Amino acid sequence: MNRWKRSVGEIQARRRQVSECEQAQAALSKVTACFQQIATCIGSNTDGSSLREELEDTRALAYRICTGMHRRLLGLLAETEQVQEDREQVERMWVLFLCALENFQQNLRKVSVLQESFPLGQRRDRRALVNSGATGGGSEVAGRAATVQMPWVTAEGEQKPDLKIHIQEIDDLLQEMLQRVNIPLWSVESTQDAWAEVCKELQEEDTLDDLMEVEVVSQDGKASGCCSHSNCRLGCIFCLLN
Amino acid sequence: GNRRFYDSVVLEMQDPKTGVKSQTQRLVITTIPHAITGEDIVEWIANRFKVGAAEARAMGTMMVAFGYIYPLQDHKRLIIKPDASLYRFQTPYFWPAQQWPVEDTDYAIYLAKRNIRKKGMLELHEQEQYNNLHKWMNHKWDFIVMQAKEQYRAGKERKKPDRVVFDCQERAYWVVHRPPIIFTQQCIMRPRVKSSVSIGALVKYSTTYKQHDPFLYPCLPSNPWLTDDVTYWQLNMQNIENPTKMRVERWTFSFGELLSDPRGRDDFRLFLKKEFSGENLAFWEACEDLKWGTAATMKEKAQQIYKTFLARGAPRWINIDGKTMEITVKGLSHPHRYVLDAAQTHIYMLMKKDSYGRYLKSPVFKETQKKAVAPEPHNFRLRRPSLSPIILRQQEEEQKAKLAASGPVDITQLCRFTAPVPHLAVYTGICENQSTASPGLMTLPNSAACPSPISVAIDSTPASERRFDSGGTASSHFPSIAESAETSVSEESQPPPPKSRVALSLSRLLRRGCNAPSVFASLSPKCAVTAGGGRVQPLGEPLAQPQPKRIANFFQIKVDIPPECRIYPIDSEDEEEESSGTARGGVKEIICPWESVTKHDGAG
Repeated sequence: MNRWKRSVGEIQARRRQVSECEQAQAALSKVTACFQQIATCIGSNTDGSSLREELEDTRALAYRICTGMHRRLLGLLAETEQVQEDREQVERMWVLFLCALENFQQNLRKVSVLQESFPLGQRRDRRALVNSGATGGGSEVAGRAATVQMPWVTAEGEQKPDLKIHIQEIDDLLQEMLQRVNIPLWSVESTQDAWAEVCKELQEEDTLDDLMEVEVVSQDGKASGCCSHSNCRLGCIFCLLN
Repeated sequence: GNRRFYDSVVLEMQDPKTGVKSQTQRLVITTIPHAITGEDIVEWIANRFKVGAAEARAMGTMMVAFGYIYPLQDHKRLIIKPDASLYRFQTPYFWPAQQWPVEDTDYAIYLAKRNIRKKGMLELHEQEQYNNLHKWMNHKWDFIVMQAKEQYRAGKERKKPDRVVFDCQERAYWVVHRPPIIFTQQCIMRPRVKSSVSIGALVKYSTTYKQHDPFLYPCLPSNPWLTDDVTYWQLNMQNIENPTKMRVERWTFSFGELLSDPRGRDDFRLFLKKEFSGENLAFWEACEDLKWGTAATMKEKAQQIYKTFLARGAPRWINIDGKTMEITVKGLSHPHRYVLDAAQTHIYMLMKKDSYGRYLKSPVFKETQKKAVAPEPHNFRLRRPSLSPIILRQQEEEQKAKLAASGPVDITQLCRFTAPVPHLAVYTGICENQSTASPGLMTLPNSAACPSPISVAIDSTPASERRFDSGGTASSHFPSIAESAETSVSEESQPPPPKSRVALSLSRLLRRGCNAPSVFASLSPKCAVTAGGGRVQPLGEPLAQPQPKRIANFFQIKVDIPPECRIYPIDSEDEEEESSGTARGGVKEIICPWESVTKHDGAG
């Protein structure tokens, strides 16, 4: 077939693959974010065997997504006949995948060290846990990670490696990626302007900061406002709570 | 401090029995456990490590600074407050660790997350850092935003109290690892001026001041440095009654100009007096006096100023705003040079904005303007700063010749060993005419070219008489150029110049302090020669006739001066030793011209 002519089928197949990779990227992001959230509980009073298990499950998920994505991206990049628009997109995905891997690997390292510092083998180990003020573990978060849907997760059932080995594998993977595919990182431009995320994200009623601010008020034990109403922080004249 | 050490300390503090007492933090909608007070922390540390309160506080602050504990209130100040202020332990994930560096990527994700949470309301330094990161991490930015969103969503899965805890933890972590860098912030935020503005200011300045710049425009009536006429300085004296028009014009340029010119300030003071608001200027001047005065009088002055201007009911009370007054009075309890700066600035601005404008429109100023002097430029057609040096020299020599013809022989000439000799000049080839002139005379060749008014004024002494006694030798440490061949035309017609038989050794010269400068002056290569004798002729003016061998004297040697008039002690021993049979007895001294002048004038 003329190398400049591609069948509709081919084009469609490629588009599907690209789209899969993008989904995978989003999924990876989701899973690694959850992983991080759970990891912040290690060594604290909410740490426990269940938390560690959830951590492992999440890691496994991430592993599967990574290996699948790596393979597919390589395949996409390997094809020499590529439409310009497509190539840019794929290259961007490649770079973002690299970043995600690096970021994930860093978290894995932290977890590795923390798990060693706070082993839970013995009962007395629990005494060493730090009272962080949290009450819940990461189960809700782990649940979120588990909801991710990947086209190839069930199809390819690689066993997750040991944590340390996992870290090393990523190292090798990163090296290989950087050597095999010559895409300069700086050639990728962000599709988002600065500060764009402010508008895009769903603005739910988020009173967290208010909560954190209120700490200052309530801790004094006295109303800093004009009246005894706990929410009052105003000067006298304008207070409507009174 | 050793991080591992603090790791273990923190863990000890957790102990339910022996650890730090735990409390509950009450928030509006919930409570959060595991809060600890600063005072409990300090106490615990003091007991555990058997240290004093201060050291325990220091240790506590270290722990906060590292990030093992974070404050719940005033979260940006990483210190231990030994009171009921609340703290919490940081989760180990956010502990400082050497195994992994603090990544900018993480910080970028954090900022983006915070952006989402706070709807764009980041703090100044955060905004700055966000923008920086967006610039140089641009290739990663899609990932960063994506990760930020996912982390935000993941965090929302947790229960509200835990979310609060996590956000506190994360925020505390970044306060430790990305503290706002105030200094560079200020550098970045420093207001910048467009070059069009700054250049415009320069142009304006130049336009305003150019006619007042003596390098660019002629001074009126003339520039004293150029014409030797000091009228300009006289017209612009500090306390002159009628200033020049130029000077008055300067006062209109700015308030600062008015104040810094004493005459201007006087005028302004007069105006204020008429307005009954002189206290402002008086206060300002008192502040200047304090600032620039001696340290010893400072305290006293400050008190005086307070009593006169600042105290309630003070005789010359100045009107400054409450805040400034408060600061000033507070500062006066420990007065220092700049304690009144705030008040002074306030008053300065007050005068500038208010009184200055009115002054410029006032009758006082207008009167001064009217009376101002506008001198005509000098017209020196034959511009001569003074008499021609040639003429002056001629006059000197005539005078000396006259005196020589009539006056007695000066004893000095006989003391050839102790008299300074001009031909110690090593390389200027100057002042030769030793034949008739006394060797004892120092020639300052400069005096020939530009006789100072003083030397002209000095009455020549019998130096003109001085005969050089060709007898006697003394070793000279300096070969005299006089001994080398003379090429001067005028010289040839003269008796051969004496060799330097008489000379003072340099050391003796130096002992006679007054001599030394003249020796070195004579060593100057610039000088023109003295009349007739030297190799170097007066600049461009060959002598028409042989001149009498006279040397203009800059320094005179006086003899027979009563001891009490002596300036320099004389080494009488030297003279005894060296003088070969010449009469001595006279007390020798070198008199510097300025001394002579006063003596001549009879003034003290």
